[in-house]
Parts: sequence; structure tokens; C-alpha cells
Amino acid sequence: MNTKMMRGFAAVAGLAAAGLVLAGCGAAPGTTPTESGSTAAPTTDFLACAVSDEGNFKDKSFNEAAYEGLQRAGSELGVETQGLESASMDAFEPNLTQLVDDGCGIIFAIGFNFSLGGTNGLIFDFADAHPDSKFAWLDGWPGGTKDNVKPIMYNTQESSYLAGYLAAAYSTTKTIGTYGGLQIDSVTAFMDGYYYGAKAYEKDTGTPVTVLGWNPATASGDFVGGFSDTTVAGSISDNQIANGADVVFPVAGSLFTATAESIRSSGKNVVLLGVDKDIALTQPQLADITLTSVEKKMTQAVFDITKEAIDGKFSTDPYIGTLANDGTGLSPFYDFESKVPADIVAKLKELTDQINSGQITIELTKNPS
Amino acid sequence: MVDLEDERRRVDWREVMHRIAAGGPLRTILAMALALVIGILFIVFANADVQRTLGYFFAQPGDFFAAAGKAIADAGTALFNGSIYNTKAKDPVAGFRPLTETLRFSGPLIAAGLGVALTFRAGLFNIGGQGQMLMAAAWSSFAASQIHLPYGIHLIVAMLFGFAGAALWGWIAGFLKAKTGAHEVIVTIMLNYIALSIVTYLMRTPILHDMSKGNNPQTLPPDATAVFPKILGDDYQLRLSFILCILAVVVYWWLMRRSALGFRLRMVGLNPDAARAAGINVERTWIIAMVVSALFLGLAGLNQAIARDGNFNQHVDEGIGFDGITVALLGNSSPIGVMFAGMLFGAFKAASPAMQSADVSPDILGILQALIVLFIATPPLIRAIFRLPEPREITDVGTRRKPQLEQGSAS
Repeated sequence: MNTKMMRGFAAVAGLAAAGLVLAGCGAAPGTTPTESGSTAAPTTDFLACAVSDEGNFKDKSFNEAAYEGLQRAGSELGVETQGLESASMDAFEPNLTQLVDDGCGIIFAIGFNFSLGGTNGLIFDFADAHPDSKFAWLDGWPGGTKDNVKPIMYNTQESSYLAGYLAAAYSTTKTIGTYGGLQIDSVTAFMDGYYYGAKAYEKDTGTPVTVLGWNPATASGDFVGGFSDTTVAGSISDNQIANGADVVFPVAGSLFTATAESIRSSGKNVVLLGVDKDIALTQPQLADITLTSVEKKMTQAVFDITKEAIDGKFSTDPYIGTLANDGTGLSPFYDFESKVPADIVAKLKELTDQINSGQITIELTKNPS
Repeated sequence: MVDLEDERRRVDWREVMHRIAAGGPLRTILAMALALVIGILFIVFANADVQRTLGYFFAQPGDFFAAAGKAIADAGTALFNGSIYNTKAKDPVAGFRPLTETLRFSGPLIAAGLGVALTFRAGLFNIGGQGQMLMAAAWSSFAASQIHLPYGIHLIVAMLFGFAGAALWGWIAGFLKAKTGAHEVIVTIMLNYIALSIVTYLMRTPILHDMSKGNNPQTLPPDATAVFPKILGDDYQLRLSFILCILAVVVYWWLMRRSALGFRLRMVGLNPDAARAAGINVERTWIIAMVVSALFLGLAGLNQAIARDGNFNQHVDEGIGFDGITVALLGNSSPIGVMFAGMLFGAFKAASPAMQSADVSPDILGILQALIVLFIATPPLIRAIFRLPEPREITDVGTRRKPQLEQGSAS
């Protein structure tokens, strides 16, 4: 090692040491009178647990939304929580086994992928093998019941219908786009709602609206083929923007980041609609191009179901999130508050009531089999 | 003189590869020790309790050391409970489950490691494990779900299908290298993408897919007759496929140490020019090396595809084709080394849930694996990149230069 390098290392080490000194100057707990355990929530010995889908609990999307519900239960209800991340699908079963061994009072299995494998799908098989444990399963429920699995599903077409109407009203080109991660029912439900919402605007105003990326009549559209390929998501977005779309709705987990990049690089006045979570809130750097988000309020559902389990009211009746029970809905408009006319806001409210009362029903596409 | 200078500066990458792939056990142990030290640092400083005590380190340094010690102890306990024997289990049957899980996860890692190790020994680098595994998985899945045969014969047929698929994929890579001179690293990487696309496509067609189950790529569930049976009863997931992976270690040993083919493979690996001069058909040996390597990876693919009751999707390879590179490196490409390296990484995989449960991020295990490889591969690579000379055993006292006489004769 030559002297120059040595000096460099010394400098780095010095900085690090300085940082440590500065960081380490706080007072020890116990020594300050304000620090006491009296503010902590009442604790029970209930353990609430979750296994992530492929990926982790900090994906700014699907897994994170569910995990936050668990954490909220931890802080507000005073229960212990345990979340295990699955690097791959091979980890699902070992993770579930670990949680059963840990003595979890309820175990959330997050994601469609838990329907794969096993003879009846991994989660159902596992639940059969562990009849004393309670499970809740987010997305992917194919129907059928188990004595200890509560399915959690969402009528996201309802909130997406509002999003489609809003997008059509907001668009100046009257061309709006959408694309999906995989062509599965839980994804196309968003796209169906979006499409029919836009078409409702067309019917109301007589202005033709073009929806790129999804056509329920032929059940065909733009799909990335997964939830991780930013290159494909980017090229789909580029294409839709080039074809005049000035609102894009990516229904592909965290891939909205690719669409955001496409929007930035196009230099055009294009906005996107967030999915699953309130993106303007979770990704403040995208707030200036996020019209609103179609939220799937998994955080609330996970919290509620955990609470039911603690109170001994666990049931296997499916939980269906709707506009009416606030399981799904549009996020606030934030920066775009001033750009959405009051009559559109009023109209969205009216549509909400019509959906809740069953006056408007949204047909779901049956994906090609 | 200029020519000689050039000659000395040119890097012999085959030589570099060989040095990386076939080091001594001491280097491996040191690399693991160093990786472990850094891994422990990560465990300590990523721990929430430790971070809290760091805030008032100078007021109460004892807290920090207590928290750090606890973090290390917890991680160690979790590693043991998750991979060897679960001390918290209700009964011994459940207690031994982690050990069987370690073995279950290590099976495909060992098979894949052997496949990669074989190409290392032959002077090649097979990064096509993913593609070869996917082909084995897809072909065996086809035989397991579309052909219906009685117990015993069905499993054998499914295995033969899998091996055929993998061998074909290995053969293409070897053939392209031998006949066109295309570099096997590029070819195998590209074949991974091709295999992934083909297999994903097949998983959407009636060839592998139940068309009533939507449009997601996934296979048909295999017939019960075509699945590797469980060998330790229903309490454990360990299947016959693991025994085959251990047999593969013996086969690899015999092949490389006792057979004429292994001798040719190693000779081509050490010096293809000399091998050619000795009358060995180097190109043909390359093709054979890729095919045999792919057979080992095919076994890993079978372990993933039909060592389970249910169906799977296009991620069935689980990255094991790439993990195999790590395993081969750590195992010095020797049969016993690869077996233990595979078991170590298998233990890491098996312990992941327990470690997460003990608040150790699963990423730590990935970091540990990466560090081990880094420390093993780095010394020869750094020397090659910066054109540094190999360390000499004979040096003049004080100057660290080699003796004048030898220097003169070398230049």
C-alpha cells in the first residue's frame, strides 16, 4: 500500500471516527427523566405475522402496504409483530413454517403467488397441514373455503372507474393510457374500471376518448409480463406517450417509476395515476406528475383483520374491499387540487354513490383461458 | 525487446480463471473467515438495538457491547436453530426438520456447483445454468404431467426428459464455441434468456399449461407417479433427489479423477495447446464438457421441478444456476469441496426464516456469500487487471525482487 492510499484511508477513518464521536454523544436512556415506559401501548402476548410475496416489505407498493397494517397493529394494539420476507417463491413454505413455529396468532400470506404449487395451491395445502393456525390471504383467492384461511380481495374496478372518468376529464388530448404487470384478474380489474370510467365520460360529454393499452372487448392490451422489468414498462410508457396519451395508469406494482422516467424524459405535460398506495405521499418526488392514486387500502384491511383475530372474532368470510367500505378509493389530489374542476369533483362523488347503490355495475373481463 | 515486453504484459485470462477456480483449501478458509468477520459487523451495525446504543455510546459504552454481543449470539442461535436442530421445537421430529431442510436446499446447489466446477476444470465457464435448469424443468414437467405411466418408470422417464433438455442446451453452447469460436460466457448467458422466453411461452400454451387456469405462466401439476418420493416420511420434505445429488458427487469424483474423459477435460483445461499437440480433439472435448456440465445442472433442475407435489412458474430455477458458480468457487472445484460448499449455502437458505425471525436481515446471508466469492476471486483478478506479477517464492533479502540471475533469464 503506498503512502497516498494510506493517507486516503486515514482521512476516511478520521471522518468516520468524527462521525461516531458526534453521533455517540447522546445521553443514555435511564439517565434522562423523560424516558420512561409509561407511554407504551398496553401489550398482549398476541403475535401477528406476515410473509411477503417475492420481494420485500419496503417495495413502496403492495408488500409495504400490507406490512404497514401489521406495524400499525403493533403500535396501536400493542401486539408483537413478525414479518418474514421471501427472496423467492422457494422461501414461502419455510417462512410460513417458521411463523407457525413462532406461535403466530394470525399469519398474512401476501400475494397471488401463494396460489401456486402444492396440490390445491401452496397456502391452502399449508393451512390444511396446520389446522391450529389462522391465515389471511391477500389476492389470488380462486374461490373455495378453508376452515382457517380468510381471503382478502378488492373491487378495485370501482375506484378505477372514478380514476378513468377523472383521467378522461383531465386529459387535453382525450387520449389516456394504461398497462398491466400480468394479465391476471387482480390487475385487469383496475384496467376494466379505468376503461369504462373513461367511456362513461365520453358518453356524458360526447367527446370521444381513446384508451390505449387495454380493450375489454378483445381482452387484450399492454402487459409487462411481470412486476419488475422496468425496461419493458418504460418502453410501453414511451409508446403510449408518443401516441398522445397525457395520463398513464400503470397497474404494475412499483413499475410506475419507469413511467415517471418516461414522462420526465418526454418533456411533455403528462401525468400518471398511482396504484395500490398513495404515491404522491410515498414518493414525494413524483407528486408533481401524480394526478391521484387508486388505492387498495390493504393497510386498513390488515389492521382490521388483525384486530378481529386478537378479539377472537376471526372468520373465514372473504373480506372484499369496496368504495362503500373504504377498502379502495382515490387519493387526495394534492398539487392537482386546483386543476380538477369542481363539477368533476362533484361528478366523482355522484358516481361513487351510484356505484355504492348498485346503479352502476362494472363488468369484469374474463381473461383468456 | 518490445515484443517481449508486450508478451509479458498480455494477460492470460485462462490462467487467471484457472487460478480463481482452483485455489487451495487454506485460501478458502481464510476467505470464509474474513467474510464472516465482515458479516458479523453487518449483523451488529444493522441491529436496531445496537443502533440505539450507538446514540449514547460515550455515555454508556457497555450497553453497546452488550447489544452487539446479543445481536451476534441471536444470529448464531438462529443460524443453528434454522439449519441444524431447532432447540425450541416441541418434539425431536420437528427438531430435526431444519437439518433436513438444509439438505433439501443443498441438493440442487451441489448439483449445480458440480456442473460449473466441471467446466472450470476444463478451462471453460458455464454461466448457462439458469437456461439448462429451466430446460430440464420444462422437459421433465412435460413428461411428468402429459405422459401417464406407472410408479417407478414414470419418474425415470421424467428424469430422462429433463436430462435430455439440459444436455441439448449445453450442447448448443459447446457446439457454438467449438465450431465458431464464440465465447462460451456470452453464448451461455444469451441462451439463458432464450430458455427463459421459450419456457415462459410454453407455460402459457397447452403443452405445459392448464388453459382453464388463466393466462399466467405456470405448469400443470405433475402426476404423483413422476415425483421424487420423500425418503424420511411425511414429516420431512427431503426427497430421493437429494440422494441423487450426493451420488453426483461420487460420479464427479470418478469422472474427473479416474476416467479417461476426465483426464482429457483437465488436460484441455490446463493447456489446450499442449492437449492438442498430444493428439486430443480440443473442440470435441469442449462440447463434451458443456454437455456433461449441463447434465449436472439438469439434475439441479429436476430437483427444483419434480421434487415437489405442485406446479411451478418460470422462476423455478431460483437463481441456483448462478449460485452454482459461487458453490464451485468456494469448493475449489473439487467434489468434496463442492459438496460442503453446497451444504453451507443450503444451510444459509434453510436458516433464512429463522434468522429473519431473530431480526437479522436475510440480505446478510447474500452479503456473506458474495464476500466469500469476492475474497476468493479477487487476488488473481486484481493481479491480472493491474498486470501485477505473481508473487515469487525466491526473493533477494530486503529488496523483495527476484534474484538477478533468474530475472535475466526470464526477460
